[in-house]
Amino acid sequence: MTEYAIDIVNVTKRYAEHTAVRDLTLRVPTGSVYGLLGPNGAGKTTTIRMILNIIAPDSGTIHIFGQPSSDPKITERLGYLPEERGLYRKMQVKRVLKFLAELKGVKGSEADVRIDDWLERLSLKTPEKDWGLSKVDELSRGMQQKVQFIGTLLHDPDLVILDEPFSGLDPINAQALKDTVVELKKRGKTVIFSTHLMDNAERLCDSVCIIARGEKVLDGTVTGVKEEHGQRNIALALEGDGMQGIASILRDHSLVKRADDSNRFFEIELVPGGDPQTLLRRIVESGASVQRFEMIQPSLHEIFLQKVGAAGIEEGMTGHG
Amino acid sequence: MAKLWAIIKREYLERVRSKWFVIATLFGPIFFSAIIIVPAWLSSRSKATTDIYNTAILDATGNGFGHRLAVNIAVDTTIPGRMPEVRVIAPSALTQAESLATHQVMQKEKTGYVVVDQQTLAGEAARYAGRNATSIADMAQIKSAIRETILASRLEKVGLDNSRMKEITFIPLDFSTERITEKGRAGSGIASVMFGFAIGFLLYASIVIYGQTIMSGVLEEKTTRVAEVVMSSVPTDTLLAGKVLGVGAVGLTQQIIWIVTTYVLLKARAPIMARLGAPTMSFTLPDISLGAGIIFLLFFLFGFIFYSSLFAAVGSSVNSESEARQAASPLMIMIISTAVFIQPVLLNPTGTTARVLSLVPFSSPIIMPIRMAVIGIPPLELAASLGFLAIGCLVALWLASRIYRVGLLMYGKRPSMREMARWVSYSR
Repeated sequence: MTEYAIDIVNVTKRYAEHTAVRDLTLRVPTGSVYGLLGPNGAGKTTTIRMILNIIAPDSGTIHIFGQPSSDPKITERLGYLPEERGLYRKMQVKRVLKFLAELKGVKGSEADVRIDDWLERLSLKTPEKDWGLSKVDELSRGMQQKVQFIGTLLHDPDLVILDEPFSGLDPINAQALKDTVVELKKRGKTVIFSTHLMDNAERLCDSVCIIARGEKVLDGTVTGVKEEHGQRNIALALEGDGMQGIASILRDHSLVKRADDSNRFFEIELVPGGDPQTLLRRIVESGASVQRFEMIQPSLHEIFLQKVGAAGIEEGMTGHG
Repeated sequence: MAKLWAIIKREYLERVRSKWFVIATLFGPIFFSAIIIVPAWLSSRSKATTDIYNTAILDATGNGFGHRLAVNIAVDTTIPGRMPEVRVIAPSALTQAESLATHQVMQKEKTGYVVVDQQTLAGEAARYAGRNATSIADMAQIKSAIRETILASRLEKVGLDNSRMKEITFIPLDFSTERITEKGRAGSGIASVMFGFAIGFLLYASIVIYGQTIMSGVLEEKTTRVAEVVMSSVPTDTLLAGKVLGVGAVGLTQQIIWIVTTYVLLKARAPIMARLGAPTMSFTLPDISLGAGIIFLLFFLFGFIFYSSLFAAVGSSVNSESEARQAASPLMIMIISTAVFIQPVLLNPTGTTARVLSLVPFSSPIIMPIRMAVIGIPPLELAASLGFLAIGCLVALWLASRIYRVGLLMYGKRPSMREMARWVSYSR
């Protein structure tokens, strides 16, 4: 088995109006869960499309499991869930799934067995009702998402690529997706997904890459990124109405570099050389009742804000990449 | 190859299974039998309506012309109620008599009236006014009755007796037409024109219907993002080829069903007509050799590929049905303007217009088969037409595949012509 599931070296993709991806180098270790993070227009979808050989890079190379991404055989080892999802509306669910499986080189008879298995697993086929026999547009949105997900995994791909998989998912399906990602990893599969939801990325990913404006901002393992890119931050929670009293302390830029206010919870980054003990003393002196004061690693969210800027993440909230 | 097959299979089966396909395929033969049987049945009935016996003859000739005309209109005077009413009128009272007759027609007491006067005797003019003035069969019968009567009076003047007169003026002519080509006699002229028209209509209809089917199919894949999933599995050229071939096979299936049932209906035409109580006209089907059949098939396939690949390109470049209709209008204009020429080409199949249109790729798949149905085409002209069409197909496919693979991934604003031209130059 090769070390890298995806090996992108110095890839550039230009369009008439702009450069979508500039000199991107990115390696996804085999068997890992990898997050591709970035705001709107950062080049995430372009990168994913190049990995899938839907579009070709202008320069640079892409290898999947050691093979050039243009190798037709390699596509059968990839599973792809596009960002905005849909299926042939008028087609029967089983026929859609069989079609998708056949495109990935699965034989018809084998596909039938797997489809039934998956439909049962995601409770789309119960003794009372077999949704596989219904037309796609008779299914609820949540059920259609499940069907789409089955279509991505039906041919048992070694590398699963999910473009914004959490956007538009209801909480139950989102949990099912997380469970499946974890299970895929246990089975030695590689999963790469793009997202702007840092919480999900932080909890699920082994490694991440943040890209903005077509360029890589940083990458590495989640732990490594945190250690490298954040001083130790302070998590602060107060009881009652103490918030007003400490506002002036948090605005003191001789001590506090930035504070992320989540109403009942603050994540505080001190200026270089700033002493956490000084901060704690001043907060206590202000009369606030401290519930939690903890040295923590910065969250991915924090690092993202710091590296890409607040504007970036707000654009990213639209879910396009 | 297996993947191309999967795409063709999906396109074919999903469409053949659809309610729309079943309805259209069944409706076809019903429609064709209607256009084959109904006109013949109607024409057999429209020999003469009984309306013409309820006319009035306003006779201002003063020499009994009206009575003789009445006998000629009635044809068989032994049947009661078949003699038109004759009103002998002085020339000065004609205006008044006409207004009375007009009133009677308005009251539906009479169907209409014929005015005969000195000018009629001279063989110059006669008039008819009535509710059935638009009936070609009725007017033809009255007109020929007037001619016969004039002829009879003239013969009488030169001294021919009555019995000889009937003998001379009675000409029950049955005028049949037949076409001759280089290969010999080739069935009735009307039959081959009808056949040519049917071929033209069939090609036109299938290009329009299935071209638009492909367009909305591509659009559906684009808007549902299925296209992206498929493109991550197969090259776009394979997807495009699969669509064109799959939908083309649907069109071919439908046409074969239509042609076979129509052929059977035509063969069984005589018994059907007999059952309807209508006389069968002599109607020989044009002979289509195997070679000609294969050439028809080639024109259909090439024409279909030419248009449907362009329709696919249009479908990939837009984001909604309404945009698609607008963007497809140049293609529709090309097809419709070709269809406009079907009749002129049938009337003059060797003219310059017909020749030029059967060389231009966008019109040749419709025009050339029509010409082939009515006249023999020199092999060189046929080869040139097919050759240009084949080149046109390659160009259309090349253009379409380049627009298609870029267009499928472009969302948002509808592209301008210039942007689409730039897509063609994109590597991928």
